[in-house]
Amino acid sequence: MTERFDAVIVGLGSSGGIMAEQLSAAGMRVLGLEKGRDHTQADFEIKHDELRYYQRGAIVAGVSVDPVTWRPDPGSTARVLPWSAGVLGTDEPLYGLPSIGTGGGTLHWGAAAYRFREADFRMRSAILERFGEQALPDGTTLQDWPLSYQDLEPYYDRAEWEQGVSGAAGNVGGELRDGGNPFESPRSRDYPMPPVTPGPGDGPFVAATRRLGLHPFRQPLGINSREYRGRPACVNCGFCHGYPCHVRAKSTTQVTSVPAAKATGNFELRDMSRVLRVLRSADGRRATGVEYVDAHDVLHTVEADLVVLAAYSLENVRLLLVSGINEHGQVGKNFMTHNFGWFASVLPDATNPFMGTFNASSAIDDYTSEIVPDNDLGVLWGAPIISVTGDLQPIEAYHLMNPRVRKWGLEFKHWLRDNYTHLHRMYSQSTNFPSSRHYLDLDPAVKDRWGQPAIRITHEWEDHDANAVTLFGRYKARIAQEMGARETWMDPARPPYHLSTHDVGVHRMGEDPTSSVTDRFGSVHGCAGLYALGGGGFVSYGGYNPNLTIQALTYWSADHILDTAGTRPKDLAAV
Amino acid sequence: MRPLFFLNPDEARIIDAIASHVIPSEPGSPGAREAGVVHYIDDTLAGFGRDLQGAYRSGLEALQAAVAPYGARTFADLDEERQRGILEAAEASPDVPDAFLGQFFAIVCEHVVQGFFGDPAYGGNVDEIGWRLVGYPGAQWGFSADQMRPGVDARSIPILTVADLYARVGTSA
Ligand SMILES: Cc1cc2nc3c(=O)[nH]c(=O)nc-3n(C[C@H](O)[C@H](O)[C@H](O)COP(=O)(O)OP(=O)(O)OC[C@H]3O[C@@H](n4cnc5c(N)ncnc54)[C@H](O)[C@@H]3O)c2cc1C
Repeated sequence: MTERFDAVIVGLGSSGGIMAEQLSAAGMRVLGLEKGRDHTQADFEIKHDELRYYQRGAIVAGVSVDPVTWRPDPGSTARVLPWSAGVLGTDEPLYGLPSIGTGGGTLHWGAAAYRFREADFRMRSAILERFGEQALPDGTTLQDWPLSYQDLEPYYDRAEWEQGVSGAAGNVGGELRDGGNPFESPRSRDYPMPPVTPGPGDGPFVAATRRLGLHPFRQPLGINSREYRGRPACVNCGFCHGYPCHVRAKSTTQVTSVPAAKATGNFELRDMSRVLRVLRSADGRRATGVEYVDAHDVLHTVEADLVVLAAYSLENVRLLLVSGINEHGQVGKNFMTHNFGWFASVLPDATNPFMGTFNASSAIDDYTSEIVPDNDLGVLWGAPIISVTGDLQPIEAYHLMNPRVRKWGLEFKHWLRDNYTHLHRMYSQSTNFPSSRHYLDLDPAVKDRWGQPAIRITHEWEDHDANAVTLFGRYKARIAQEMGARETWMDPARPPYHLSTHDVGVHRMGEDPTSSVTDRFGSVHGCAGLYALGGGGFVSYGGYNPNLTIQALTYWSADHILDTAGTRPKDLAAV
Repeated sequence: MRPLFFLNPDEARIIDAIASHVIPSEPGSPGAREAGVVHYIDDTLAGFGRDLQGAYRSGLEALQAAVAPYGARTFADLDEERQRGILEAAEASPDVPDAFLGQFFAIVCEHVVQGFFGDPAYGGNVDEIGWRLVGYPGAQWGFSADQMRPGVDARSIPILTVADLYARVGTSA
C-alpha cells in the first residue's frame, strides 16, 4: 500500500525547513524528502579548510550530478555552466546551485539578512512615477508584487526572531534610531541581537562614508552575536561564507527549524531522497503526492494532500516542468539573478581580511532602490553598497587579485605577500529586471543520471545591468579614494557568471494565472494542494540578498495553509 | 624523494620546474618547490582531480613539443631562461585551440596556488610556507575581539593547521 502523509515537503533548505516546522508543530503529519545528507554537527566540527569547501565545493551538488546549462540567447546552444564546470580545474563551484542537505543554501550562506524596502514591492509603479513608462527597458515584464511590505512586515519580524538575526534597527515604527539604517522601511521592533564584532577592515569604510556625508550602518546578519535560543555566539573564525558553521552560531534551518520539526514527533525526514516528479489526480487539478528515489536508486511513491516544493527556484521549476505542470506557459519565465559588481581595494592599514565573517561589516543605503541618484547612465533602481571584511583566504585572494598584476612569477609572489593583509572589498547587487529574454526551460539534450532533463538558462546581462555596475563602480571608487586606497580594480560590468545563488522570479506570484505561476501565498494556479516556495515567487528584484524575504514569505504561506486547513496552532489552543 | 601516486619521476620534475616559475624561490623566501607543491598536484591527480589526468598527460606532451627544438631531454633540463620563455609564450596564447599548452599552463598555475596555500594536510604548503609568506594564520578556531581590532599584526598569531585543530578537539584518528 502506498504511504500517506498530510504533507510532503521537497527539500529541507531555507524555506522547506521552516515549512516543516510550521506544519508539524500544528499537528500535521509531515514527510520531508531531501536529496542531500541530514547533516550532523560532527560533520562540521572542523571545517576550516579552504580547499575542501571553497575550492572543491564539498557540500554543493556540482554540475556533474546536477547539470544546469546556460546560453546567452535562443540562437546559441546551451552548455553546462561554462564558468562553473571548468574541466580545467579552474572552476568556481560556488557559482552554481547552492549547498545541499538539511539547511540547503543556508549552510553556505553569507547570512546577510536584509529586508526588502517598501518600494521594492512596487518597483514598476515607483519607476513609472519617477521616470515614466518609456524609461523601462524593452522586453521587460516588470510588475508590482501582489503583496506589500506592510503585509510582510510581521513575517519579516518573525523570521528575524525565530531564525536569529543580529543587527541595529534604523527605523522602529517610523522613529529613526542612531547607528541603524535611516533608509530602511519601518519595522515593528529591533533585532533580537546587536551586531556581531566588526571585521578590522570595516573601520576605514565607516569613516570614509561618514566623511562623504553618507550613512553607514551595520549589516543585519543571521549570525549570533551572543547566545541565542541555545545556540552560542559567533567565534569569528573567518570560514563562514561558503562554509558550514562549526559552533552553530550561523542561522541555518539545519540548526533552527529542522531540529524543531523533528522535536514535534510529527515530522519524518528522509535524506538522500531525490524527488523526480509531482503526482496529480487524473484531471490534473490536484496534487496527490510525489515520486522519489532513495540512496540506492529505488523508486518510491508517497501520497499527500499537500505537496510543497522547496527545492530552490531552479529545481522547483524543473520539477514543475518534468511533471507537466505549466498550464499557461509561465513556469520558468522572468528569470532574475544578481550581478555583484565586485570592487577591491588595497588599503593603507592592515585589514586582516581572513578574520570574522564575510559580512561583519557595514553598508550604505544612500543610493538604494527608488532613491537612486539622477544619473547619466539611465539607471532606474539603486542598491546598497556593501563593505566586505572577512572570510578571505589566500586562494580566494588569488582569484580576486588585481588583473593588472601578472598572476605568476616574482611579481605575483611579491604582490600577494605585500597586499593580502590589506585587501578590502565592496559589492552591490544590481537590479535585474524580469524580461521576456530571460527564462528557464528543460534542456533538450542534457540529462542527469536519473534521466531527468537539465534545467536550461537563457540569460544575458542587459545594458541596464552593466550600466548599474558602472554607476555603482563610480560611487565605490569615490569611497575607496576616501579610504586612501593604494590600488583599486573592479569586475567587468558583464561578468562571466549567470547564476549567483540569488536566482529568483521563475515561478512568479500574482493574481492573474496567465502572467504568474502561483497566487501570493505560493499556491500553484490550477493545481490544488501544490505550493512552490522560495525566491522563485519574487516578482521583481532590487539590490538586497533574497533569503530573509524567502523566509518571511514561507511563514506567510504557512499561516495561509494552516488557516485554510483550520489547523493553525492558535486555533488549536483556543479549543 | 616523497613517493608519487600518479606522475612518474620525470613528469614530477617537470611539474616541479613549472611550479617554481609560478611561485619562485628566493634567498630567505621559499617558493612552490620548497612547499612541495608537486606532491599536492600528484596527489590531487590520483584522487579528487583524476578527471584531469588526461589533461596533464596531453599538456606534458605539448610541453615536450615546445622543448624539442632546444635539444634538451625534458623541460626540467632546460636553463631557467628558456623555461620561462616557453611559459610566457604559452600564457600569451591560452585560447588558441591547438595551443593546448596555454590551457595546460593555466591549470598548473591554479593547482600550484592551491598546493601552496591549501592546508598542509593536502601534501603541499610544507611548514606552512605559503601562509607565512602572506601573513595568514591558517585554520583558527576563531578570533577574539582583541585580535579583530584594526592594526593588529596577524603575524604575531601562531599559525594553526587542520591537524592542529583535530589535536585540540581530541577527535584525531
Ligand atoms: C555561498 C552562498 C552564499 C549566500 N549568501 C547569502 C546571503 O548572504 N544572504 C542571502 O539572503 N542569501 C544568500 N544565499 C542564498 C540563499 O542561501 C538562498 O537564497 C536560499 O537558501 C534559498 O532557499 P530555498 O529554500 O529556496 O532553497 P535552498 O535553501 O537551496 O534549499 C533547497 C533544498 O532542496 C534540496 N533539493 C533540491 N532538489 C531536490 C529534489 N529534487 N529532491 C529533494 N530535495 C531536493 C536541496 O538539497 C536543498 O537542501 C547564499 C547562498 C550561497 C550558496
